[in-house]
Amino acid sequence: MADKINNPVAMWQKMVGDMEKGFNSFANQAMSSPEFSQAMNRAGGVAAGAQKQLGELMEKYLVTMNLPSREQVTGLAERLQLIEAQIGEMKAMLSQIAASSGIPQGSDGTPRPPRTKRPPSENGGQA
Amino acid sequence: MNAPAELDFASIPERIQTEVQRAIQRSIKGVEYFSTSGPRLGSTPKDVLHSRGTMSLYHYRPMSDEIYRVPVLIVMATTNRGYILDLVPGQSFIEFLLRRGYDVYMLDWSAPRPEEKSLRMEDYVLDFIPDCVRRVQQDSGEQDVSVIGYCFGGVLSLLYGSIHKDGPMKNLICFTTPIDFREMKLFSNFSDRRYFDVDRLVDSVGNVPPEMILSSFEMLRPASRTVSQIQLWENIWNDEFVKSYRMFDRWATDTLPLAGEYFRTITKDLMWDNKLFNDTMSVGGRSAKLEDIKVPILHAVAEHDHIVPYDAAKHLIAKIGSEDKEEVMLKGGHVSLVAGANAVKRLWPKLDSWLGKRST
Repeated sequence: MADKINNPVAMWQKMVGDMEKGFNSFANQAMSSPEFSQAMNRAGGVAAGAQKQLGELMEKYLVTMNLPSREQVTGLAERLQLIEAQIGEMKAMLSQIAASSGIPQGSDGTPRPPRTKRPPSENGGQA
Repeated sequence: MNAPAELDFASIPERIQTEVQRAIQRSIKGVEYFSTSGPRLGSTPKDVLHSRGTMSLYHYRPMSDEIYRVPVLIVMATTNRGYILDLVPGQSFIEFLLRRGYDVYMLDWSAPRPEEKSLRMEDYVLDFIPDCVRRVQQDSGEQDVSVIGYCFGGVLSLLYGSIHKDGPMKNLICFTTPIDFREMKLFSNFSDRRYFDVDRLVDSVGNVPPEMILSSFEMLRPASRTVSQIQLWENIWNDEFVKSYRMFDRWATDTLPLAGEYFRTITKDLMWDNKLFNDTMSVGGRSAKLEDIKVPILHAVAEHDHIVPYDAAKHLIAKIGSEDKEEVMLKGGHVSLVAGANAVKRLWPKLDSWLGKRST
């Protein structure tokens, strides 16, 4: 406490902290009113409409510039994802084959530790 | 005129020297700040077990010689990235679990693509989570699975658990999970049904943009971003402070869009009609009542949570049907509870002592 009294840096930090709390509390009170909700949602509705129109305009611009459309890029991404998924399935199959041969293995191919751990309380406090 | 008794004139030159040194360091480190990237986040070794659209299932590589029988599946909130639980070595919840002998999986989300705007609540609760649970069972060779849900990931886990009453969920842990949406006062006011036309929003934008989600979080504490930037400048000479600031700032601003239909259901069923709290919630025509969850449950809430206030979370334990249930309130905020520097002393050991004995 004494340190805060004679330390200008600590005083400044406390002042900033108090200002933050005060402003947040004041703003929260103001934002709790139905009027705020009405104004915010009116502005938000306009922004959403504008965003949609801008998006459509950009699509037309890309077509004019002979650039790939979003749909085409998305199509490529989907094909990549399918390939990734197939690799994942193959890895899972390999793990299953390894498991059926009696070696517990992870998807990275390394052996898994045994599932025998007991909580420390049952081991006399040993982790 | 006498100076206050506590005023220590002798220390003034030393303080001035310290402040001058810090001012010099601020200039040097300030340049460094803008010319370097932050620490690498989410670096605990992991494998992608499965990926489908917005959903990814990771398996983290074990870090102990012996692991618990029951694997753990973490269900991340759909608004944010899972690396908040795996920041950097020494401050990673995932790393902590691995070192304590848990076999850890995570259901994480990426931004839904425009064509995924039609994903519904049932896709998340009746498809994504059960699919991941099946894959965890298959990968681990175990039937039982413990589920940890963070924030809205907790809500999804509750819906999943209440519908899949016969298993295979063995234990459920929720972090800062709201069930009474009336008590999320500001969110409730922002989405007041008299003024918020959710249908118009979703029909016009498809997926709800991340900027909108981020703004609504930041509006809960409108002065905090400016103040945190002032604090950054004051402490820019302090490498640890800057590292922590960069980690949390990057994560907080890395908000995900929400699938349109899913957002529509959240708004109508949860924000407007408070159906989970009122026991009238259903997903894909299947009733989801909290009283139907009978597995052991731990709910961790934060004393200073401004996103999910305690009033929105406090009825969870009372409404759950389990006999083995516990709520723990710890110091911290919505994020620092699970990922802050003090989580390593508070939440993580508590979770370990609770879950360890239920994981054999």
